[in-house]
Amino acid sequence: MGKEESNTDDKQIKINKWDYLALKNTLDDAVKEVLITKYNHVEDFSLIDYRLLICTFAVLVAGFALGWDFFNPFPKSRFVLTVCVALYFITMGAITLYTTYMEKGIFAVTLERDESGFNPDVVWEASSYIKKHTGMYYLTMVRKDAVGVDVREREISKSVANYFDDEGTLCQDVVENEVTKMREAVLKLKKIE
Amino acid sequence: MFDGFLNDLKHMNKRQFLYQVLCFGMIISSALMVWKGLMVFSGSKSPIVAVLSGSMEPAFHRGDILFLTNYEEEPVRVGEIVVFKIEGRDIPIVHRILKLHEKSNGTIKFLTKGDNNSVDDRALYAPGQQWLEKSAMVGRARGFLPYVGIVTILMNEYPKIKYAVLACLGLCVLLHRE
Repeated sequence: MGKEESNTDDKQIKINKWDYLALKNTLDDAVKEVLITKYNHVEDFSLIDYRLLICTFAVLVAGFALGWDFFNPFPKSRFVLTVCVALYFITMGAITLYTTYMEKGIFAVTLERDESGFNPDVVWEASSYIKKHTGMYYLTMVRKDAVGVDVREREISKSVANYFDDEGTLCQDVVENEVTKMREAVLKLKKIE
Repeated sequence: MFDGFLNDLKHMNKRQFLYQVLCFGMIISSALMVWKGLMVFSGSKSPIVAVLSGSMEPAFHRGDILFLTNYEEEPVRVGEIVVFKIEGRDIPIVHRILKLHEKSNGTIKFLTKGDNNSVDDRALYAPGQQWLEKSAMVGRARGFLPYVGIVTILMNEYPKIKYAVLACLGLCVLLHRE
């Protein structure tokens, strides 16, 4: 990477294009960026925050077990350890359930504020996955009104090669185009009865 | 390669970074809780130990891994292979029980010897100590797996390998975004 290049645009994101996770994370961030900066959506962190909360709880349980066992060496700490171990693995199960059934690959939940302030917020959920060995990036956008009656959904799949150049630099404008098109398509969709 | 890692880190926001740290914490906690779970299950402070010496050959060789249990209700008998700790020594010893005295109130005293040693263990015990008591026992050998413990021996003898491996794993987990 030349020095001039980094001087011209500090925000350019260059990644290792053979790394699926890096590709997905970069694209996800870019999509979210478009929703927030271009359409003035407000990000709703509650989905992520709950996951962080469960994870923190699991780590705290383990830390507590370690501390308790340190101050009350083993045979004495048996009961507390049993409880902690059981609690820890239940929490781990809960995290797995949460990520598979609640998050389902949703990487961004954003709220579209009604400027007049009369109507409640509209929720946009963006989720994605990359199919391994095909390099296809599946992006789904869901628009929900506040009561959840009007749910519109659209999915596109495009090769990751569309969004990155040969060097692995993200083409932000392509992402922005795609998101714009998708958003309009979702808005045009008829209400699913 | 390392560039990519740092790149990942640079583009994370607060929550992603926190999640990264938590993931690292959960990997460590999982290992810890599996260990504690084994402790509860086996009743022994160290349910898995590696054999570090050849004093029990041909039963156990250097580098074997032993699974221990230490259930209170099971009586200790002569001929059993036990792992015990001696005051003033960090590393527990795996040897066979040679003699055993049992009192009616349940307390026991025992003498141990390595199968491959020519004399009993009194020379190994703390100065003046003739017998071991139940509190010195870490557990009884219940099963073994050959060769796996060689990794432990290597890491103990060359601590640099241990730190290098730990540092590499830690960096990978911390820097590589989930």
